[in-house]
Amino acid sequence: MSAVTATISEDKMGAARAKPAQRDEGERLGFRLTLPAQILVLFISAFPLLMQLYISVTDWSPLSGVGWWNAWEMWNSFANYTDLAADTRFWSALQRTAIVMLVCVPAEFLLGLALATLFADDFPGKRIFYSILLMPMMVVPAVAGYMFFMLFQSGGPVNDILSRIIGGPVTIAWLSDPNLALIAVMIADIWQWTPLMFLILLAGLVGVPEDQIKAATLLGANAWQRFTTIVLPKMKTIIIIALAIRVIENFKIFDTLYIMTGGGPGVATETISVYIYKVTTQDLIWGYVAAIALAILIVLSIVAVYAMKRMAKTREVPA
Amino acid sequence: MSAIHLKNLTKTFGDFAALKTMDLEIADGEFMALLGPSGCGKSTTMNMIAGMEEPSSGKILFGERDMAGVPMGRRGVGFVFQNYAIFTHMTVRQNLAYGPRMRGAAKVEIDRRVGAIAEMLQLSPLLDRKADRLSVNILQRVAIGRSAIMEPAIFLLDEPLSNVDAAFRAVMRTELKQLQRQFRQTMVYVTHDQLEAMTMADRIAVMDHGVLQQVGTPLEVYNNPANVFVARFIGAPGMNLLKGRPAESDRGLVIDLGPLGVTPPLPDELASSVRAVRNDVLYGFRPEQVALADRGLSMPATFVERIGARTIVHLGEGESAVKAVFENDVGLSVGQTAVVAPPASSVRVFDAATGLAVRAG
Repeated sequence: MSAVTATISEDKMGAARAKPAQRDEGERLGFRLTLPAQILVLFISAFPLLMQLYISVTDWSPLSGVGWWNAWEMWNSFANYTDLAADTRFWSALQRTAIVMLVCVPAEFLLGLALATLFADDFPGKRIFYSILLMPMMVVPAVAGYMFFMLFQSGGPVNDILSRIIGGPVTIAWLSDPNLALIAVMIADIWQWTPLMFLILLAGLVGVPEDQIKAATLLGANAWQRFTTIVLPKMKTIIIIALAIRVIENFKIFDTLYIMTGGGPGVATETISVYIYKVTTQDLIWGYVAAIALAILIVLSIVAVYAMKRMAKTREVPA
Repeated sequence: MSAIHLKNLTKTFGDFAALKTMDLEIADGEFMALLGPSGCGKSTTMNMIAGMEEPSSGKILFGERDMAGVPMGRRGVGFVFQNYAIFTHMTVRQNLAYGPRMRGAAKVEIDRRVGAIAEMLQLSPLLDRKADRLSVNILQRVAIGRSAIMEPAIFLLDEPLSNVDAAFRAVMRTELKQLQRQFRQTMVYVTHDQLEAMTMADRIAVMDHGVLQQVGTPLEVYNNPANVFVARFIGAPGMNLLKGRPAESDRGLVIDLGPLGVTPPLPDELASSVRAVRNDVLYGFRPEQVALADRGLSMPATFVERIGARTIVHLGEGESAVKAVFENDVGLSVGQTAVVAPPASSVRVFDAATGLAVRAG
């Protein structure tokens, strides 16, 4: 009896031993087979970064007469980074970008959420409104910039409508007043990107289990309580995704803005991207540009990692 | 107070009548099962009682109170959903506390009530577990507890066992029945599973195509089906029904089943009622009550299902097919001819034209 048991358990152990070995073998073969592709992918994603890092510690520019691979000859011992730390124009551009982000992203989120809540229920003409609502997102940002450039001219439609409402002439210099220009730019961004927020949030909203909402209703929760205790917590993951996308995208705000104001008047609407663009094309100090770009990449990476961590946390509690 | 009275309740969706003039009285503290195949209107009925849907016409009374226009949050009904609809992003405690919290109960009061209900449902050790990783019987208890904490007079359960595997269903049935005894509320239980209805309910309302077919205790419904639908639907397999014509013989009234011959004579009380029917009739008997006999209907066995404790033998074909359930393997094999006879007392007769039962007079 005991002999039989012993044989069986030995067999089992043998089988158990063989399996991981086989798996290891398979994994090693798989790794070898995919290695060329992996190296290529790694190269494609890492090369520009490494090149940027390399150039960021030199004074190299395309006019310096040596190839970029010889940029080490112009090594400047991190002077670009120390310059950056002292560059007030950089810091104020960063601050301005942050302000735009802190206004635009919450505004887009709240508007998008309100619209998504509205569109979660049926109403007549829903499909038409839905299509119209998504249109701004489809407009090429440069075209959107041009549209808002015209809208906000002092003799343009915005002032015209305001003057009709007030009943007197309105001549607000939207794009040439340093304070108003930033507002005009933010309005354009909100116009263009609320639809994306709406689309993502609507997808999340319809994914909230209806029976749980009904259960909450039966337990006496009113509409607002249902929204805060069931709907929002269930949408947490999708809200984080939506916010992360918009934070990252908004940080890089450029095309619409550049066409509307060119970063002006003065530097009133100069965001990070505009600043980099100017330094690249006007000042041609590419080593410095690389340093700025890396600094921004680090900031955005921190945002992305934070968002992903939050998401991993909420994913432990699937809807 | 917690009796439910459905008066001429009707629900239509466009041209489709989901429920046709349903009348049903459910007594205070009664466990009523709404039983029927999918699409029979049982869930619609339940949703209207809960207030999730408005009746197209007719009335719902709780005690004396007309529920028309009373929103679902104010009806004082507990509802257990098919998949329990537990708030998965909360802990068990938060789920249980949800109702009182939404109504603004004081924290101390909430804690006391959650504690009490958790104790009763044996959920105390699980209170701080996340609700998304609970086994299905715990989920059921949380779902019941979450509703029970509101002390509803009426409990509605919408097929709560349909997602549970067969082995576990027996456990859950027992548990559910015990819970009902504990709470003593009026319970309305929607199911398509007759076993659940038969084992748990005080009375069963059998429904089909939006029409209430019969209301009665499980045994009434089983023994004296009101019509052909109930006869076929209740029982596994359902009642055997053979079409025939009443005929007088020297032994009494028999049913002429055509090629199958004539049946044994009907009991006198039944015979007098059957004589009053001018149409063809359906001769019905339960498969479980069939016995092998020397005289009776002789039919060839066409299929034999041996399912352990019982053997189901399919006899005959087409119009004259019947099933017989035997406690033991009676040794019949396909092709052999069996002579079967249902005991006279277990025979039921239905009017073939109307489908209604002909009751013994």
